[in-house]
Amino acid sequence: MGWLAYLVGIVLPYVALALFVVGFIYKIICWSRAPRHLPWELFPYPHTAGERLGEMVIEVASLRSLKLHNRNIWLPSLLMHFGIYAVVAWLFLVLLGLPVALLGYLGGVAAAAGSLWMFTKRLGRDLRILTTPVEYLNLLLVFLISAGGIITGFFGEGLAVREYMLGILSLSPRLPARPSLLWEIFFLEVFLVYLPFGRMIHFAAKYFTYHRVKWGESH
Amino acid sequence: MRRVLDEYRAISDEVLKPHEKRVPRFLEAMKKSLDSRANWTFWLPYVLSLDTCMKCGTCAEVCPVYLSSGRREIYHPAVRADALRKIYRRYFTLAGRLFPWLVGGEELTEEKLDALVEGSYRCTVCRRCAYVCPVAIDNGLLIREARKILDAIDIAPDELREKGTRKQLEMGNATGTPTPAFMDIVEFLAEEIQDTRGYKIEIPVDKRGAEYLVMHNAGDYLAFAETVMGAAEIFHAAGVDWTLNSPATGINDVVNYGVFFSDVEFEKVLRAQVKTCIDLKIRTLVVGECGHAFEAFKYLMMRLIPEEERPFEVKSILELIDQWIREGRIKVDPRKNPEPVTYHDACKLGRLGGLYEEPRRILKACCMDFREMQPNREMSYCCGGGSGFAIMTKGDFLKFRMETYGKIKARQVEETGAGIVALACSNCKGQFREIINYYKLPVRFAGISELVANALVL
Ligand code: SF4
Ligand code: SF4
Repeated sequence: MGWLAYLVGIVLPYVALALFVVGFIYKIICWSRAPRHLPWELFPYPHTAGERLGEMVIEVASLRSLKLHNRNIWLPSLLMHFGIYAVVAWLFLVLLGLPVALLGYLGGVAAAAGSLWMFTKRLGRDLRILTTPVEYLNLLLVFLISAGGIITGFFGEGLAVREYMLGILSLSPRLPARPSLLWEIFFLEVFLVYLPFGRMIHFAAKYFTYHRVKWGESH
Repeated sequence: MRRVLDEYRAISDEVLKPHEKRVPRFLEAMKKSLDSRANWTFWLPYVLSLDTCMKCGTCAEVCPVYLSSGRREIYHPAVRADALRKIYRRYFTLAGRLFPWLVGGEELTEEKLDALVEGSYRCTVCRRCAYVCPVAIDNGLLIREARKILDAIDIAPDELREKGTRKQLEMGNATGTPTPAFMDIVEFLAEEIQDTRGYKIEIPVDKRGAEYLVMHNAGDYLAFAETVMGAAEIFHAAGVDWTLNSPATGINDVVNYGVFFSDVEFEKVLRAQVKTCIDLKIRTLVVGECGHAFEAFKYLMMRLIPEEERPFEVKSILELIDQWIREGRIKVDPRKNPEPVTYHDACKLGRLGGLYEEPRRILKACCMDFREMQPNREMSYCCGGGSGFAIMTKGDFLKFRMETYGKIKARQVEETGAGIVALACSNCKGQFREIINYYKLPVRFAGISELVANALVL
């Protein structure tokens, strides 16, 4: 199994990171180089940079659109999103040398529970009629990563994860101390590769739909 | 009537030509629509809306058609727009070409094309859904893009194209009113004013170099003459240098149905209108009570026609009246309109145009009892006359308008207890005329100009 560990732990991280970066930049460039379309804003909208930032923060932090207009999925979606935010924050803290295991576990539990809850919501009539298999798959992927992080103890191994990540980033990759972490590393790789090409890129797309379309373009 | 989507037909088989092979042409036109240069006018919002819908269903919770139909699947905003997304996935994305079943790509057939055509005319592009979508995805815009692709393969409602933009370009107005008849109408309206108000006013026509050219929706002269008369009285009272124009000067109809279904037609009409304004050497074009014309001149024109090629200002008649009342240029007495009045925010003036306060200030100044309709402003429900629907009645289409949008609107009006619904858009007037009739509401509708004129103190 040595070669498999080598593949997942040493080779794939670079492939995944490269694909993620290239895919992500490609998308961003593609959208930002779009010709200036006809004005198509919706009133009222925030005008100053400060107001816009405020609106964005409120939307990202509270999912206000869902809260106001689609209560049915507000809580499950909020739970899942907060779980994801927490896991991402945990990763950054780990890199900084602050492995707050509790944050990772809490995030993992929230994202896992939220994605499952969303999954069941999707089976209800109103959402089923517009759901394609890929939406279920996206939720499963979120579930897999968060549950995987809990089961493999990934969130509790902050120091090992840090060492491993630093190895990757400093171009002297070493396999993680505990081989079981490779599972989670593999899920994360899949996620990274998939991110720019799937619908989960919406966090970036949203910047353009709001700033370049819905909120008008500085006039 | 052959059934293709539901029990209505917006587009007849004559236009639809179901026996011809249209799919390859459709795909060709769609390919072009995805080219950022060929379709620069809407490319970015178009591809963002094709690609990043999260299928959360929030749009459906605010869509008047979906809600009022008892949540029919075919009227779900995202499902309706998916008709286009499925084609996009299947033919124009890698994932969809490889795994269509996974990402919801679907082969386009002639039958599905028929359904797509009808589906594209079950949404007024009111954009209430886009306003609430967490990702700001615009299913209304996708409907408009679908209409554009269909127009490129010659599938468009006669009301909007043959008898709409084409007729307007040929005759100067979409009503087909020639100059002598137009002059007669204006003369008749001046007499009407004299009869009802007891004083004579001059209504200038085709005056060159005027400060204000007031261009109405030409349909108003025939169907909503009170609005035209009201505007004349207001401009007279304001004592400004103004004029109407006849078809002899070019285009004398502010509508532009291209807004609803075709950028090509849109641009042709717009350029003809701009040319008319330049020829008349006017300083300000005043857009009469017409929602989509305001959108066209105030926003859509901005990047289509460079500033130096349009040496005149554009104002909505609402902006002017509001300004004049505040400046004291015209005086109004609210006691002359004692009945309770409510206001319907036209989508194109409100959500798309940003004119929320102007009509309210005007109405509060001119009426004793102004009442808000709930919900209002950015969450106003489309009346159902938008995107061309107001002039589409064939194939039981009127019933569709009444049983969906109309149903919600009728209830809203009733809840206010108002006796008058004030409207600032010709298409809304066309739709409300039918709603009041269909639901036997004890109300009448009135143009803003009509109410202002009625309150004028000379
Ligand atoms: S259009 Fe917006 S609100 Fe509607 S399903 Fe897609 S993401 Fe949700
Ligand atoms: S634009 Fe209006 S009618 Fe069309 S889907 Fe959205 S809410 Fe419904």
